[in-house]
Amino acid sequence: MFHWLEKHPFLFSVGVFLTIAFAGLVEIVPNFAQAARPTIGTKPYTLLQLAGRDVYIKNSCNSCHSQLIRPFKAETDRYGHYSLSGEYAYDRPFLWGSERTGPDLHRIGNYRTTQWHENHMMDPAKIVQGSIMPAYPWLFKNKADINTAYAEQLTDAEFFAVPYNKPVPLKDGKTTIIPMAKSIATAHAMALKEAQAVVKDMHNQNVKDAVAKGDIPEIVALIAYLNSLK
Amino acid sequence: MDINTFSAYSYFFLIIFLVVGSYSYIYHLYKNRKDASGVDYEHYSNMALKDDIGDAPVKPMPDEKKK
Amino acid sequence: MENRPLEYDYTVAKMFMLTTIVLGIVGMSIGVFIAFELAYPGLNTIFGKTIAEYTAFGRLRPLHTDSVAFGFTVSGIFATWFYVGQRVLKVSMAESKFLMFIGKLQFWLYVAGVAAAVVSLFMGYTSSKEYAEFEWPIDIAIVVVWVLWGVSIFGLIGIRREKSLYISIWYYIATFLGVAMLYLFNNMEVPTMLATSPIGETGIGSWMHSVSMYAGTNDALVQWWYGHNAVAFVFTVPIIAMIYYFLPKESGQAIYSYKLSLLSFWGLMFVYLWAGGHHLLYSTVPDWVQTMGSIFSIVLILPSWGSAINMLLTMKGEWQQVAASPLIKFMVLASTFYMFSTLEGPIQAIKSVNAIAHFTNWIPGHVHDGTLGWVGFMIIASLFHMAPRVFKRELYSKGLMAAQFWIQTLGIVLYFTSMWISGITQGMMWRAHDEFGNLAYSFMDTVNVLHPYYALRGLGGIFYLTGFLMFAYNIYKTMSARPVEESELQNASPMGA
Repeated sequence: MFHWLEKHPFLFSVGVFLTIAFAGLVEIVPNFAQAARPTIGTKPYTLLQLAGRDVYIKNSCNSCHSQLIRPFKAETDRYGHYSLSGEYAYDRPFLWGSERTGPDLHRIGNYRTTQWHENHMMDPAKIVQGSIMPAYPWLFKNKADINTAYAEQLTDAEFFAVPYNKPVPLKDGKTTIIPMAKSIATAHAMALKEAQAVVKDMHNQNVKDAVAKGDIPEIVALIAYLNSLK
Repeated sequence: MDINTFSAYSYFFLIIFLVVGSYSYIYHLYKNRKDASGVDYEHYSNMALKDDIGDAPVKPMPDEKKK
Repeated sequence: MENRPLEYDYTVAKMFMLTTIVLGIVGMSIGVFIAFELAYPGLNTIFGKTIAEYTAFGRLRPLHTDSVAFGFTVSGIFATWFYVGQRVLKVSMAESKFLMFIGKLQFWLYVAGVAAAVVSLFMGYTSSKEYAEFEWPIDIAIVVVWVLWGVSIFGLIGIRREKSLYISIWYYIATFLGVAMLYLFNNMEVPTMLATSPIGETGIGSWMHSVSMYAGTNDALVQWWYGHNAVAFVFTVPIIAMIYYFLPKESGQAIYSYKLSLLSFWGLMFVYLWAGGHHLLYSTVPDWVQTMGSIFSIVLILPSWGSAINMLLTMKGEWQQVAASPLIKFMVLASTFYMFSTLEGPIQAIKSVNAIAHFTNWIPGHVHDGTLGWVGFMIIASLFHMAPRVFKRELYSKGLMAAQFWIQTLGIVLYFTSMWISGITQGMMWRAHDEFGNLAYSFMDTVNVLHPYYALRGLGGIFYLTGFLMFAYNIYKTMSARPVEESELQNASPMGA
């Protein structure tokens, strides 16, 4: 059998490929559909939250912060209930991270407020003594990219059947609807309305002025996203 | 038979197959010492050691012999 | 042509040697910088507050990992392929205008791709998946470069004089196939510009944005199947290809057991791909995948050590060469570090150990054992071996090479010891409870205690980078060193004092 294989270099390449492809097939395929199912109460991201998620990714927050609470007492004490597979059903890409240079953020929305984030992003060491996180003053100046977030929402709905404008079941048995705009103009209006709700709790005058003018700084979108992590 | 039973059985037989396969490969290598074309496996090291363009190949391509 | 003797043509190899060195310096400098950012926060503002956004840890971290993995290492793989490939197949690239053209095209596309990747990562265009951060237009460029490399490999094999393929060629082929498969599947994404709004607007938003084909847990599973095996097919398989050629060649010793090298090749190919699940222990992926990842990680010791021991035994009876030649030192230590990190990895993959080790600094500590000790040393040694042969000159300085060896070794030791201590400290402090069952430490307690280790790690990085700059200088001076005869190039590389 082996003599036969040794004589055919082309079969060698095919053999190598099959050998390495095998493991992926066995490990990934069987649970694919099951793992993609959302838990009850998990909602798709709203437009502003999605824009904030893009800010999170743009600054690679995930290189220092995880979003995965493991089922250990120490972790559930510190961060809340351990993470469930279905909670990530609308996370494209996933943001589990691989390092905890800073604390886990999977349920940060449960114990931090808009105002805390605002102060913390401006100067982390002032809020948390000894913090090694850099300050992020540019988030207060850069504008969030609402167009791209809207395109992302449309892609989610068109290609991956994410239930925008459709009833999403909640834990208490009721349903809710996460709306998606019909056009770029309505998308902007929608995001601005969300931003106004966030800015109510903020005190930075420049940010307030920007939102009053109809612009959305990155910090507002990022806070909307962080508040949604529960 | 549900998918879990199926994967359990296939996993078991896969392990058996791999153990038999890799041990017979070892046995084959050390029993025959030479590969299908009659070259001792250990001579293949010369492909690295004698690799100047003028050196004779360990196993020349068939058409090269005619030249 | 008839009158001139045929020679190997190293034009493309030389081009990739240049990018190996340049991108190595870039990637390692960024690495040292971000290491110190963790020790001294606020360091990102030293180039001015206005550009602090572009020098923050988060922005630079993907630049560091990608420039050492896809810049330094992949350049090194290409450079050695265009050297080793010709020699063990006994065919010169000068014999095929087509392959020469493809090789040069591959180089220039690669350079363009690297430039685009660097700019886009600085700008913050990232897909956030580790070691696959590039957005879709760059992914496409990478696929083209890779296909061109495939044309080079199989084209050269097609016109070879040596019928059988040397073990290094096996490993290069596996690198090509493995990375192709992994990269394609992990980067499946839909560009957002394809979306159409209900009223018919198209091309909305940024071009440089896409949505992953997989969501949540599936995305994580695919990513770490990729991430782990990118380590396999970029940091392990092609480096084994290098050591199987360069160590026997430099020492003049035949491989200890060619049969063992065949056996460990198939073992490695089969086992490596299963182990990706060890990145996801105690996560939301199914338990059986986690267990499988854990078990196969342990099994992986066998084929890994098969190659490594084969290399060390190649030096049997010739150990005086290790003392005599700094070039052999590099390779023997690389092989030793390979054994070391392929033992450390499986230990970390045991579930109960992973519970402590995951998310801590022990993980980058482990990665750098492999990358600095094994990958870095082996590529440096390969280029040292190639330089006299492609330039037809002796290596500029043996003394400088020996000094570089010891400085870099010290750097690695500083790196991994500090990261071990800090990683295990972190892991233990996070989980510690007091006698009433409350958490013993706040998160900040665990950050404060790490400062000296972060600083030491940065120092280790400086040592390694210094050594690398010495290497670059040594190679640069080699280009104008004493010319040598063909006869001096048989085995041990000629070196000046």
